[in-house]
Amino acid sequence: MKTIRVTINRERYEETVPERMLLVDFIREKCGLTGTHVACTYEGVCGACTVQLDGEAIKSCMMLAVQADGHAVTTVEGLASGTELTPLQQAFKAHHGLQCGFCTPGILMNMSEFLEKNPDPTDEEIRHGLVGNLCRCTGYVHIVDAVRAAAAQMRRGG
Amino acid sequence: MSANPDNQKSWMGTRLPRKEDLRLITGQGKYVADIVLPGMLHAVFVRSDYAHARLVSVDVSAALEAPGVVAVITGEEMKTQCRSLRQPVLLPNLPAKYPTYYGLAVDKVKFHGDPVAMVIARDKYQAVDAAELVVVDYEELPVVLDPEAALAPDSPRVHEEEADNLMFEMTFTGGATDEDRAKNAAEVERIFQSADVVVKERFRVHRTGTTPMETRGVLADWSASDGLTVYNTTQRPHIDRLAFADILDIPAEKVRVIAPRDMGGGFGLKAPFYRESVVVAYACRKLGRPVRWIESRYESLMNIGQERGQINTLEVAASKEGKLLALRNRGIADVGTGQIGVYWGFVMPFLGAVEMPNAYTWEAGDTDLRVIFTNKACLTPSRAFGHFPTRFAVERAVDIVARKIGMEPSDLRRRNLVPRLPYTSVTGEYYDSGDFLKVWDNLMSQVDLPGFRREQAEARAQGKYLGIGFGCGVELSGVASELMVPMENQPGYGAATVRIDPRGKVFIMGGDAPGGQGHETTISQIVAATFGISPEDTIITTGDTGTTPFGSGTIGARMGSYFASAVRKACDELREKMTHVLAHDLGIRATMEEFAFTDGEIVYQRDPSKRKGFREIAERIVMFPINLPEGEVGGLETTAFFEAAKPMICFNADACVVEVELATGQFKVLRWLTSEDVGNVINPMIVDGQMHGAIVQGLSNAIFEEFIYNDQGQQMTADFEHYKLATAADMPDIKVTYASTPCPHTPLGTRGIGEGRPSAVPGALCNALVDALVPFGIEITELPIRPSVLWQKLKAAGAV
Repeated sequence: MKTIRVTINRERYEETVPERMLLVDFIREKCGLTGTHVACTYEGVCGACTVQLDGEAIKSCMMLAVQADGHAVTTVEGLASGTELTPLQQAFKAHHGLQCGFCTPGILMNMSEFLEKNPDPTDEEIRHGLVGNLCRCTGYVHIVDAVRAAAAQMRRGG
Repeated sequence: MSANPDNQKSWMGTRLPRKEDLRLITGQGKYVADIVLPGMLHAVFVRSDYAHARLVSVDVSAALEAPGVVAVITGEEMKTQCRSLRQPVLLPNLPAKYPTYYGLAVDKVKFHGDPVAMVIARDKYQAVDAAELVVVDYEELPVVLDPEAALAPDSPRVHEEEADNLMFEMTFTGGATDEDRAKNAAEVERIFQSADVVVKERFRVHRTGTTPMETRGVLADWSASDGLTVYNTTQRPHIDRLAFADILDIPAEKVRVIAPRDMGGGFGLKAPFYRESVVVAYACRKLGRPVRWIESRYESLMNIGQERGQINTLEVAASKEGKLLALRNRGIADVGTGQIGVYWGFVMPFLGAVEMPNAYTWEAGDTDLRVIFTNKACLTPSRAFGHFPTRFAVERAVDIVARKIGMEPSDLRRRNLVPRLPYTSVTGEYYDSGDFLKVWDNLMSQVDLPGFRREQAEARAQGKYLGIGFGCGVELSGVASELMVPMENQPGYGAATVRIDPRGKVFIMGGDAPGGQGHETTISQIVAATFGISPEDTIITTGDTGTTPFGSGTIGARMGSYFASAVRKACDELREKMTHVLAHDLGIRATMEEFAFTDGEIVYQRDPSKRKGFREIAERIVMFPINLPEGEVGGLETTAFFEAAKPMICFNADACVVEVELATGQFKVLRWLTSEDVGNVINPMIVDGQMHGAIVQGLSNAIFEEFIYNDQGQQMTADFEHYKLATAADMPDIKVTYASTPCPHTPLGTRGIGEGRPSAVPGALCNALVDALVPFGIEITELPIRPSVLWQKLKAAGAV
């Protein structure tokens, strides 16, 4: 067991956890933030568990909680400020970028970092940016639409 | 009435953003794995390492001693304490060999992954640790893997109590008696003998499925007074409720099943009644504590979601003018163990055989199907239920015929489409309504085939290989009772309860259980349009057997067909009552039709000064039921049932363009265009999304995904590294267009859509690949189709 200090969505957590506990389980079970999902066998393929560690999108099933000690994590619950949705969240709603919603939090966390690095992506770049996130409902078409629209909105300063 | 700037408009046909989305994009969704009950225990299954072996012993003593472990359940306990899953409520009314099986394996394991024991611990990590301490002594048995070899008289049997491995066989053409069928077969043979063109191919489709992103999960809770409550990832909670009651011997009124409002996709995989659910519920009752099992992806890919898996030896006879005359098919489905409640693995290929003729005017057919047990996971329903393989065979065969007689495949298709509906296919499937030619012509009007042929020729001259492919599909719009009762022993009707509260808010309760299709939004649009209120003023509850009327489940495109129609019918009954009371209060004689429900008001159209707020009239009837018209009582709630007189369909046609690189066999889908008859559309954005998802599932199945067993029956592809799903970068943009005909048999003219939709995809894709490679004369008769396969074909043809 090890005691770790992790900041999640600007809130500080100090918890004692087994060394083998995955970061995703820490987030979901210790911190009760269930917006982060698991859809593969902790193999980093599905991307549903994607969060941001110090602003960088990572797969939280591929890290131990103890490795996040001293770091700041943002999960999907931390994207909106209050009831104010981000342009990316708004675009996912406006363009029907989700159906069952299970993969959506991971996609939002990945794409919000992606758009910071690439504010004016082509469709091809969006599609390649999404390869770490599997979606089974949408066929990706509306996801690409939503990311493209969010990028335009953000460039307009929205 | 909440303020809504748009409440002037009819909500039908509007691209309304979904009511579901806010919670899902902010991490507030509540899926089964997010539900925690006090004192909840965690379950993990121990599964067979062998495809076929005798269970000599299952030693759980070390596991019981492990930290945190509360109990370990074995097959022997399940057999003595519960009934088998071979219960009448789970049995179709079709003649088949239905194996008797329990929550856990007894005596023998019959596939790699067969559940042998369940370990329950206070912590999930502890449960995983302890599961490794269960010692199972196996005595290996010869495995049955090839469905054709499994029919040999000396083949080992998957189920030893059965005489052989033939689970089910049926002829789908020619009538009910052997004599009639023999006569029909002779007539078909006569057509083949005299036909100008005959094509015969063996079309093989691999095991693949639709794999939702959320795996299965079960959380069972027991109370001595209230009985069993199960939170279950299920598309059909009401059937599950009866099954739990019968298997666990609990009075059905003491069982409540709740499909969580948020389910991470279903696509058919969550429609069966599964054995794991029984073990979790049993353990919960035994221990008197909540028990939860969340399936791992590894388990999921090993145990469920494997569909398709058919070999169809198809012959087609045609005239040299391009008239399709007859089809003859010998179908084989590799069903695995056949151990899956409701479907037993063979109901899908059964329906696939029924749907084989597709939209064409065959003069005669001679088709049959044999479903064969093997030591593999049981086939599980997946969207395009059973007919992904049969549609692939027919759509490919049609192209092969066209090329043989030198006709454009698109022309041959149009020539043979059923010109007028209703129509009954050669397998007896009823097509109620629509206009196939209109859908087809809409597709072709956007293709510019002559232009493409020029582009193709120019590209070829430069060593670039482009191809165009077509396909189409008649799909079920809901499943009528006349099909559901024989197939699944349950009704097809839709049911909805609608309640209006004193504040004028409308509550809708339905017994189906959606998993991402947007029912909350779609239903809210119907209700808003019917009552002239805002979609924000509706609250939709699904999936809870404690609060909803019986529903057969979110299956077979039942939403736009059956559930939506039941909702509309219930709303109309309440409109009747509201206008009856309003007319009485206004002192006028008027029928419901003389009132308009608009902008939150009910308005007497002959004299618009006579009007009342929707909320006011609701409050008056619910709260102040005095001075009512004679014979009327207070309250605003009703349950309506909807069943069309005949089965209903929807229809689609596809065109796609591919490019193949000769040197490597690499190919890319450049464009995908569709034309759809979905009847009247409630929300085009949602319908577009259904089509996109279905087409990509079809492409992913056809190109990437494949469940592979080795020669020992070991499942080799039980993770997403080996069972590859298509990513965004692999897939094309898709353009969906509509050429709809309102369905005359539903109150809103809507059709149920989306379920069968992937089935047209593999044919259209492979037709395009073959079209690109016409100079080399290659054919594609097997799936998956991958660059490596194409390259082998190109090499054999001397192209590289």
